[in-house]
Amino acid sequence: MTTARRAWLEALVGALDPGRDLVVAGLGANARYLPHLDVRAPHFALCDSMGAAIPLGLGMALARPDRRVVVLEGDGSLLMNLGTLATVGAARPDNLVAAVFENARYESSGGQALPEVRVDFVAIARAVAFPVAERLAEARELPAALARGWASGGPALLALPTAFDPAEPIPPYSQRPAEIRLNFARALGR
Amino acid sequence: MAGPEPTGREGARRIVAALEECGVTLVATVPDTWIGWLMEEMRKSRRLRVVDVVSEEEAIAIACGAALVGARAAVVIQNAGLLNSGAVIASLVHLYMVPCFLLVSYRGDERDPVYYHAPKGRVTEATLAAWGIRHARVREGVKAQIRQGFDWIEETRAPLALLFSAEDLS
Repeated sequence: MTTARRAWLEALVGALDPGRDLVVAGLGANARYLPHLDVRAPHFALCDSMGAAIPLGLGMALARPDRRVVVLEGDGSLLMNLGTLATVGAARPDNLVAAVFENARYESSGGQALPEVRVDFVAIARAVAFPVAERLAEARELPAALARGWASGGPALLALPTAFDPAEPIPPYSQRPAEIRLNFARALGR
Repeated sequence: MAGPEPTGREGARRIVAALEECGVTLVATVPDTWIGWLMEEMRKSRRLRVVDVVSEEEAIAIACGAALVGARAAVVIQNAGLLNSGAVIASLVHLYMVPCFLLVSYRGDERDPVYYHAPKGRVTEATLAAWGIRHARVREGVKAQIRQGFDWIEETRAPLALLFSAEDLS
């Protein structure tokens, strides 16, 4: 069972605490959707740098323990930097949740298939000491799963099976990197 | 194989003290032998959080994340790992203009006795120049060098690499 990306994103955005949460989006569809959603929490979107979203979020989480960081990452992008889950597991931030959108596609580059093997990110996260690692089925489950992540005392990974529709009208990137950085800094009051 | 361990660690302690005095709170690192010696001193600090990571690109992204929320961070990696990191430097550090301070063990320069590091040594500074990364070797007065380095990366929103050898740690 898969869920539309937009439904995952809307459920996630609705569950954020704007005064406390930060959002980091890895490159691709999540980053492209972000400016078109009502995201009131400070957010930072990558338009390149595949695989960097989770370590970027980890740096924020460790430097700002007063904040909670939600990272939106794709399965292809995470595979490019899978070792980062070990780093996160060792660092044990209690304010980092990685939401991994699973559609087995490199969606941004034309929908090419990932290598044809099923990678169980939930099992990997559990193996590297994430106290919460769950695969969800429906968007309505997301707020409670996020809450379990924040309450777990360590990092969490939520795997989100995501529908792939080559005709989905994903908006193009609409913000330039300098604008993204400045908006993020302003939202943080910097 | 690393060559002889430096006698004393005064140089390493000066580097740690300089990072502390600059307000650095987070150090992301991948070890090599020389970095291992430096990190033994780094881990004694109560003001530096050391984050052990599994790839150098990851270390750079972590430091960038810290910088984006207003913290000062440093990356401590070998030049081999730096050479692996072109993509994140181009597509995160340069693209988003994030200040990034790199402390790089300079394997294969003329001071390194280990033959197999030599090819990395030959290409390190040329690669840094090609990637638009200002760089310098650690010299006498490393504390001022590090302080000025952090001021410079924040003024220019650019990366800077400080290259060190085993003898710089003694």
